[in-house]
Amino acid sequence: MNPRGSLEVLEEKEDSAPILGPSIHSDNPQERIQARRLRIAARLEARRREALGEYLDGKKESEEDQSKSYKQKEESRLKLAKLLLCGTELVTNIQVAADIREIHRRVEEEEIKRQRLEKLENEVKTSQDKFDEITVKWEEGKQKRIPQELWEMLNAQQVHCAGLIEDKNKLINELQQELKTKDDQYVKDLKKQSDDICLLLERMEEQVKNVMKSFRQELYHIEKAFEAERQELLTSNKKKWERALQAHNARELEYLMNRIKRVEDYEKQLNKQRIRDCEEYNSIKIKLEQDVQILEQQLQQMKATYQLNQEKLEYNFQVLKKRDAESTVIKSQQKRKTNRLHDVLINLRSKYNKQVKLFQEENRSLTSDYKRLVTQFKELQKAMRHFALIDDKQFREIWLMNEEEAKDLISRAFDVDRIIHMQHLGLPWTAPDFWFLRNVGPISQQQKSATHILEEVLMQAEEEGAEESESESYLDLPKQVSAKTTRKILMLLCDESGFLIEKKLLGLLLPLEKDECYMLRLDAIFSALGIENEDDLYKLVNFFLKYQAHHLPPPQEQTSLVSALEPVEQLVLQGEKSGSLAEGEPQEQKPPPSPRLIHPNDVLKILEAFVMGLRKPRDFQVPVKLLKVVRDDSKDSEYWKALSTVIPSTKQNLWDALYTALEKYHLVLTQRAELLVENQCLEQQNTELQQLLQQYLDSRINSELQAPPTQVFRVPTK
Amino acid sequence: MQETLTTPSLSGPSQSSISTQDRSSTAGQTSSTGPPPSKPSTIPPPVKSKGPSSRAGVRRMRRIIAEDVEWSLAIVPLLTELCIQHIVKNFQNNPILKQLLPEHQKKVLNNLPPNLPLTVTANLIDDENYWRRCCLQRWPVCHVDKHGGSWKRMFFELHLGNLLKHFIPSSTDPAVILNLLPLCRNYVRTIRVDQFLPPVQLLPPPQSGDLSDSGSEGEMEELATDHYQLGDLVAGLSRLEELDLVYGVKDCGMNFKWNLFLFTYRDCHSLAATVKACHTLKIFRLTRSKVDDDKARILIRSLLDHPALEELDLSHNLIGDRGARAAAKLLSHSRLRVLNLANNQVRALGAQSLAHALAHNTNLISLNLRLNCVEDEGGQALTHALQTNKCLTTLHLGGNELSEPTATLLSQVLSINTTLTSINLSCNHIGLDGGKQLLEGMSDNKTLLEFDLRLSDIAQESEYLISQALCANREAALQRALNPTHFMSPITAKGPENPVG
Repeated sequence: MNPRGSLEVLEEKEDSAPILGPSIHSDNPQERIQARRLRIAARLEARRREALGEYLDGKKESEEDQSKSYKQKEESRLKLAKLLLCGTELVTNIQVAADIREIHRRVEEEEIKRQRLEKLENEVKTSQDKFDEITVKWEEGKQKRIPQELWEMLNAQQVHCAGLIEDKNKLINELQQELKTKDDQYVKDLKKQSDDICLLLERMEEQVKNVMKSFRQELYHIEKAFEAERQELLTSNKKKWERALQAHNARELEYLMNRIKRVEDYEKQLNKQRIRDCEEYNSIKIKLEQDVQILEQQLQQMKATYQLNQEKLEYNFQVLKKRDAESTVIKSQQKRKTNRLHDVLINLRSKYNKQVKLFQEENRSLTSDYKRLVTQFKELQKAMRHFALIDDKQFREIWLMNEEEAKDLISRAFDVDRIIHMQHLGLPWTAPDFWFLRNVGPISQQQKSATHILEEVLMQAEEEGAEESESESYLDLPKQVSAKTTRKILMLLCDESGFLIEKKLLGLLLPLEKDECYMLRLDAIFSALGIENEDDLYKLVNFFLKYQAHHLPPPQEQTSLVSALEPVEQLVLQGEKSGSLAEGEPQEQKPPPSPRLIHPNDVLKILEAFVMGLRKPRDFQVPVKLLKVVRDDSKDSEYWKALSTVIPSTKQNLWDALYTALEKYHLVLTQRAELLVENQCLEQQNTELQQLLQQYLDSRINSELQAPPTQVFRVPTK
Repeated sequence: MQETLTTPSLSGPSQSSISTQDRSSTAGQTSSTGPPPSKPSTIPPPVKSKGPSSRAGVRRMRRIIAEDVEWSLAIVPLLTELCIQHIVKNFQNNPILKQLLPEHQKKVLNNLPPNLPLTVTANLIDDENYWRRCCLQRWPVCHVDKHGGSWKRMFFELHLGNLLKHFIPSSTDPAVILNLLPLCRNYVRTIRVDQFLPPVQLLPPPQSGDLSDSGSEGEMEELATDHYQLGDLVAGLSRLEELDLVYGVKDCGMNFKWNLFLFTYRDCHSLAATVKACHTLKIFRLTRSKVDDDKARILIRSLLDHPALEELDLSHNLIGDRGARAAAKLLSHSRLRVLNLANNQVRALGAQSLAHALAHNTNLISLNLRLNCVEDEGGQALTHALQTNKCLTTLHLGGNELSEPTATLLSQVLSINTTLTSINLSCNHIGLDGGKQLLEGMSDNKTLLEFDLRLSDIAQESEYLISQALCANREAALQRALNPTHFMSPITAKGPENPVG
């Protein structure tokens, strides 16, 4: 994330903070996604920080603010709460007291009521009795006839009634008395209640006053505490602010200086730019004016040419019109002519048909002739070949014979030379090593025939099955292609171009072995194609490979087709070929981009192309080949000469010198021999003489002699 | 010298500043919405006033111009000023207010006399300041807080209450009140009437003899002691939320008669119908009106399934067990939050029925049974109900002849219940052992904030310990209240009033 992006995001965030949803305006969706992610992260962060901060704040408050304001607040709160509680209790105490008084009153009232009711009931009973008595007496009075009695009774009745009424009145009075006392009680209660209310009011007022006073006091304390804290905060903040302000001022000044410098720079640049622009402008203006003038001139010219052209065209138009008229006339003439020519054409056609028939017949006869000739030629060729072979053979045999003879001689010469060197000269002898000494058979640069190679290839392929390591070393194939590839291609060729082989041959081939069969078939095919030697064969193989590389259709189709035909073999083939080609690639100038299979169907096309390509060089190769058949014997003479001069002339000189020396030596030796013989004779005479001497000595005479000769001289003791 | 300087110096700048402001506005007003009759008079002045005003603009900066002998600070009043004065003077006949510019409106309202007829002002003036002046002029003590902080509402509510207070059936014209209805229907939300005058009896001359007097009273009660029927009035007030009535007479002095304090059956029926028809009513108070069981039942029957009612106050009446049973039925058939039956004659049976309703109630927050005679049976039932109730926060059982058994049960409830915040058991006979048990219950409770046990025969020690526990609870509650939100007003101070308000 580059800082610019994040800044943008932040701005955007600020802008679109209240708007939710995908409202981050950006062309790049990635950027938007990024921005949203950032925004979410920021929000989460903020929330977390808020919670944390709150928590921290709370903690801080409990830790730091406890110093003054918080402590003061807490203290005052507790104090005031207590005050309020006590005050309300004090005030409500009156109500509670009134309540309990009321309850007591009610209880008493109930009691009194009950008593009163009892009393009244009793009274009612008694008065009822009295009343009943009186009413009974009224009944009695009705029966009384005597006025005195009646009067008496009436009096008594009156007295009774008076008593009753008195009772009632008494009761009423009592009740009224009670009522009065109740009234008094009520008045008292009223007074009491008014007193209570007064007290309540008083207490409330007092409470209000107290509360107000204490609240004010606490407020004052709290304010003081806050004031002190605020003062501290203010001073610290002021210091901070001043520091920040100074820093800010310094930075601002720096910015200002920078800005002034930059402004000056820009002004200079602007001036320069302006001047340059002015010049440029002027030059452009001049140029453009010139251009305008030129263009105007051109315009005039164009106008002139236009007029000219117009006139010309008009004239042309006239001419064309006339020509048109003429052409119509000509057209009619031509029509007539075509009709005539048509007739002629029909005639000619019939003639042509006749001619064709004629020529066909001729052709047939000629072809038969040709065929005959060809067979003759072939026979001739065969014979020639036969003779050539025989000649060759003979030549070879003779050659070998001669060579053997020469070699014998040479070896003898070498032996002699060696003896001379070793025995007579006492020098170390080294056998001279010449190329021609190793040569056996007639010398030739003759190329291997195609069949020969074929054989080799096939053989090699067989060998390969047994031991692969030898494969590269043997045949010097690796020009571009490995033996294996070649073999594959050849097999393919063999399979596909059976039509090139004569049917007779095919019939003959049937009982043969597979390899041999291939050999013969290929031989036939090559002979048909005109491939005769190694080069041609490799050309063919290379041609195959290149063709495949250049002309192949897309590989998939190809492989599918191939796999349908011979799945396993082809795949193996492909693998092998790719491997083999990989080896050959670095040597190749234009390696086939990818080794592919050759589709059997393509083989024919390739062959056709190859044959077409081969024909041209073949045409002028024919005489060369003929020459080649007459083998060059320039080297032969050389060879033979070389053979004859195996012993160089210096050596011969040496030999000559040696010879003379030896002659001399021989002479000396013969002389010596004669001398020796002479010597022997002398010796013999000597011995004989000695014997005689001995005899003489040994004879008795000696002993008898005074001075025997033996004593006199020393007999040689031999 | 100083006086002359100081007094104009206060008015001088303000006038001049207004003059500069008003020059353009008066022109605009005269061209657009000036009333036709005043037009000819207003057109010329702008031309004239331009001179002085411009001169004033030049001289405004200076207090005194010593070289000018005739200089005086008394400036000729501006035309706008004059117009405003005129409007104020003729406001009663030709009220022009809405067409004026806002600053002019303010000025007019500041200068209007507070004794204008309500027919003019009621629906025209919304300015609180004007109504404040009206209120302060009429009533020396004004608690605007009791009227939602609105002076206008307060004025109309007090005015209506005043009219009702002095309404005498059959002699006062009902039109007096009904005429006011269209004027105050949008503003009155509360009706508080603490006296209803009975019809004046002109026929019976003062007779000597108490018996005959009382007899005649009895007869006349049936005839014509019905009070003013609120039905029409309440039906007209579309925003009525609170009804606070006392059927009684104040300041009767020596003219006291029992029939002055009579809440007749007709009154009761009409009031019941009125209350039932008023669907916006939230608070209904009927106190000190001698409501007995039958009347209470009539009233409560009409209140069943009321859509809005939240508070019912029938304190200081004569309601017995049957009335209490009706109230209990109401509890389960309404959304009542506050029920006040203080100072009635509810006994154990009524309390039991209330407890039965309370056990599964989820609306009631406060229950007041002060000064009844519930006794231990009722008290036990109520405390038992508190075991299952999860809503009630305030319970007042002061002066109910309760004793130890209730206290033991309550101590068990205290350790279970977590919603109760205030209990009042003052003026009972709880006794020493009961106090100890309550203390035990308190030790497990963490939510109770108030527990009044004054004058209930408890040992001082346990009372002190209970108050200590309460104190701890209060602190905890305060902390709880402070932590989620910053600096909220402590709940303890307003605890019992919260559900009411």
